[in-house]
Amino acid sequence: MHTQATPLLTGRGLVKRYGQQYALAGVDIDIHAGEVLAIVGPSGSGKTSLLHVLAGILRTDEGQITLGGQRIDQLNETRRSELRRTEFGFVFQSGMLVAELTAEENVALPLLLGGRDRTTALGAAREWIGRLGLQGKEHRRPGELSGGEAQRVAIARAIAHRPKVIFADEPTGALDTRTGHDTVQALVESARTTNTAVIIVTHDRELAASLPRTVAIRDGRIEQAVPTA
Amino acid sequence: MNPVQLALRVLRADRRTRVATLLTAVGVAVATALVLLLASLPMAAEARAERALWQQPQYELSTGGGATISWSSSTDEIDGELITRVDVAPLVDPADVTLPPGIERLPGPGEMLQSPDLATLARERPPAELADRFGAEPVGLLGDDALRFPEQLVVLVGHSRDTMPDSAMELSSFGFGDAEPDELLSLLAGVGVVVLLVPSLVLVASASRLIAARRERRLAALRLAGATPAQVTAMVAAETGLAAVAGAVLGVAASPLLHRLAAFVPWAGGTWFAGDFVLPVWLVVPIALVVVVLVVGAAVAGLRRVVNTPLMATGTGYARKPLSWWRLLLVPAAVAVFFWTLTQASRQDGTMLPMLVALGVLMWSPSLVGPWITSALGGVFVRRWRRPAALLAGRRLRDDPKAAYRASAGVVLAAFAGSMALTLMPSLEAESGYYSQFREEVLYLTTSEDRAAAIVADADEALAGYGLDVRAARVDHADITSGQELHMAVVATCAEAKRLLPGTEGLTCRDAPAIYASQPLDLAKAGVHDPSTGSTVPLPADAPVAPMPAAADVVVVDPVLWPSGAPAQGVSVAVPATEKSREIVRTALLGASGGEQVISKEMMLGQQDTQLADLRRVTVIGLVTASLLAGVSAAISTAGSVMDRRRTFGALMAAGTPVRTLARALRAEAALPALVATLGAGALGTAVAVGLFGLVSQSAPVFSPWIAAPVVLGALVALLAAAVCAPALRRVRAEPLVDE
Ligand SMILES: Nc1ncnc2c1ncn2[C@@H]1O[C@H](COP(=O)(O)OP(=O)(O)OP(=O)(O)O)[C@@H](O)[C@H]1O
Ligand SMILES: [Mg+2]
Repeated sequence: MHTQATPLLTGRGLVKRYGQQYALAGVDIDIHAGEVLAIVGPSGSGKTSLLHVLAGILRTDEGQITLGGQRIDQLNETRRSELRRTEFGFVFQSGMLVAELTAEENVALPLLLGGRDRTTALGAAREWIGRLGLQGKEHRRPGELSGGEAQRVAIARAIAHRPKVIFADEPTGALDTRTGHDTVQALVESARTTNTAVIIVTHDRELAASLPRTVAIRDGRIEQAVPTA
Repeated sequence: MNPVQLALRVLRADRRTRVATLLTAVGVAVATALVLLLASLPMAAEARAERALWQQPQYELSTGGGATISWSSSTDEIDGELITRVDVAPLVDPADVTLPPGIERLPGPGEMLQSPDLATLARERPPAELADRFGAEPVGLLGDDALRFPEQLVVLVGHSRDTMPDSAMELSSFGFGDAEPDELLSLLAGVGVVVLLVPSLVLVASASRLIAARRERRLAALRLAGATPAQVTAMVAAETGLAAVAGAVLGVAASPLLHRLAAFVPWAGGTWFAGDFVLPVWLVVPIALVVVVLVVGAAVAGLRRVVNTPLMATGTGYARKPLSWWRLLLVPAAVAVFFWTLTQASRQDGTMLPMLVALGVLMWSPSLVGPWITSALGGVFVRRWRRPAALLAGRRLRDDPKAAYRASAGVVLAAFAGSMALTLMPSLEAESGYYSQFREEVLYLTTSEDRAAAIVADADEALAGYGLDVRAARVDHADITSGQELHMAVVATCAEAKRLLPGTEGLTCRDAPAIYASQPLDLAKAGVHDPSTGSTVPLPADAPVAPMPAAADVVVVDPVLWPSGAPAQGVSVAVPATEKSREIVRTALLGASGGEQVISKEMMLGQQDTQLADLRRVTVIGLVTASLLAGVSAAISTAGSVMDRRRTFGALMAAGTPVRTLARALRAEAALPALVATLGAGALGTAVAVGLFGLVSQSAPVFSPWIAAPVVLGALVALLAAAVCAPALRRVRAEPLVDE
């Protein structure tokens, strides 16, 4: 149904080179608002590169990226940072939380750095921690949480500022299958409530299969686009 | 593969390890060179003092009999520069007089040997200003071995026995042997070792922090793979040892250069011969070894955690490090011990070692108290934060106050030592009064009753010959008793008193000879005190008594009214001098007296100023060096703490946090403990100095705005260190997000 609408985020002819080697060799991709997309592929196929290019962490060597119809690939680093801070959210393989901060402070940090005041930021943080099932653990430090719990904190942090797209690079990589699936489920459900699109890079074919749409990538090219479910 | 090979392999592979190793080597080199210099200071001072022994009285040479020379020494000055003058007359065949090194022959009567710089000066200035003072012909130069320092102004004037000054004594030979050590310089060198070595070692420690996280992971992996603790320790020892040995060798190699530089720093009136600083090999080698052992020991000690709990180090295991309040007790305890040793030291002139040890403990105490304060401050931030910078800084300070404080340890030492020195100095300066019965500009010498008239006549003739209008006056002083009171009396005409004595500007002279006193004087009871018999010689009861301004605390008696047979306690010949006429008046007085000591209040104060200037110079050099080392190590450890958390920061930046925002937060974290610590150390240093000063003096210490200088310097260092945050973060951002 949403295939008819204008895509939220598009990539056209994306190329990323490292010296002689092509990490991305011409990728076209569309992501719609609120859509959940899995990117799969063997190691070294260019999954992380694609994610980073789309999110503006890396610059493309060729091709165009648009967000809501606007070109974003040519923005300078300051503008791209701002975009990442306001429109995007990120979940990495192992939380990458600030070890000294409590769970709720970690979630509040991006809001605080974005200029929100203490009360608002902590309020939003507590709300999301609650929604992700971590009530009572607001004051724990990352070192005092299990891997799955830490990932939920990371998800809360990625979504608390209500971004348009969440990028997740192997968010389950450090978790066992069961916990991994639960975590992704939590992410997907949270995103649905805010109409946030989610792009998940994963090695886990089974996990990918449980998501609405999967894109397979090999040697820096889209191999197939399989709309599932 | 042995540990050294493994270490070399790691060095080849890892750029950051190479940087850290290089920094370690540089830190060790600086430490080694500094310690070598400081260790050579007491010896250098002794070497120069030994060369100057012939210029100083050695009283034990005067008692034994078998005198070979009549000898006298005095100090003189030109343009505020000290001239040392030695007068000598042989009492035996001049060939039988043993000569000190650097003196080729004994100058005969009317001949003199000058130091090269004095000879040049004497040639350049009009004779009236300098050359005529010595009353002798230059016949040669003194060699380097006879000079305290290269540019010393010193003259050896030959006499026959009967032309020697009154103060001459008969000696069995010129002074020789072992010189007294320069206590002040030894003390400074001791303090310097502590003040400079600690920041150097902190620098080394900070360098190893740059790679701490990475190394811990590597070692933990090795431990998990089955390496024994001994093997792991050997590997780290090899890694650090390579850097330390290289650094020590570099330090030893660079130390002659540092000695060259140090030779230019004036101390006690002059610079040094480069050869003064030579250290014997038997001292160089152990010093270098000790530095290496200290560094390697510190590295191995830092390993305990990894060696004991290999698994902990791999995870993100989080352990809060609580600090107990008893740390706070350490400072008062250390201060108490320090003062105790200090009173001991001043009571029995024992060794300085216990005091130095206590000072070391005192300087170490902030490193225990600092973290507690840092942690407490962190607590306040965690509770009160409004902005993320305060939150991040607060959490980090609270969680690992030791690590946060470590960065500022060097700054603390510099601030401590600096504020201590700068508090003491103005206080000592205020102390350095010198009593003289004459006005500041008056030049005078003391002589005997017999010679006074001749000296006055000769001096007046010389003054007239040089075209000056001033004339010399004989001034005697004595004590006058009046009932229970004792007054100082000066025998002079009213006109002379007005020219020569302080506080007499408002004095109105009578036409007839009179006695002038600021307090009522009952002549019936008053008399001149004779200290040799204890009796008094009465003053003429009918003499007129006139008022003296209260500012002049002295009774002036006209020579006409002085009772005959009343003893003088001192006879002076005095001439008022102006800025312009000073050198010529000196020449006239010295020429007339043949080498008596000519004194003025400015000259005495000037010599004390020299010592204070020495101290201030050395303090500033030490402070700047320590701050430099501290700044570098603070910067390195800031960079290290950013690198430790690169994954977290990398992720935050990827998620759109600008470097600027993050850097602002980290700067607060880097600068705050240093700021707090410097203020604390400055206060402590000032307190210790006030205490020290209280031991040697009764008066209240003087505070100059300079005591703020170390704190300002320390704060500046902290801020500079904080400035590393942004570049370090940019480096982190430039690296791939996940690379380890
Ligand atoms: N910073 C870099 N410098 C050089 N080559 C790189 C860099 N980052 C990635 N590459 C190369 O680009 C290609 C794609 O890498 P990318 O990280 O996108 O793969 P990936 O699909 O995420 O692999 P994985 O599943 O192992 O994470 C790989 O061949 C990799 O070697
Ligand atoms: Mg990847």
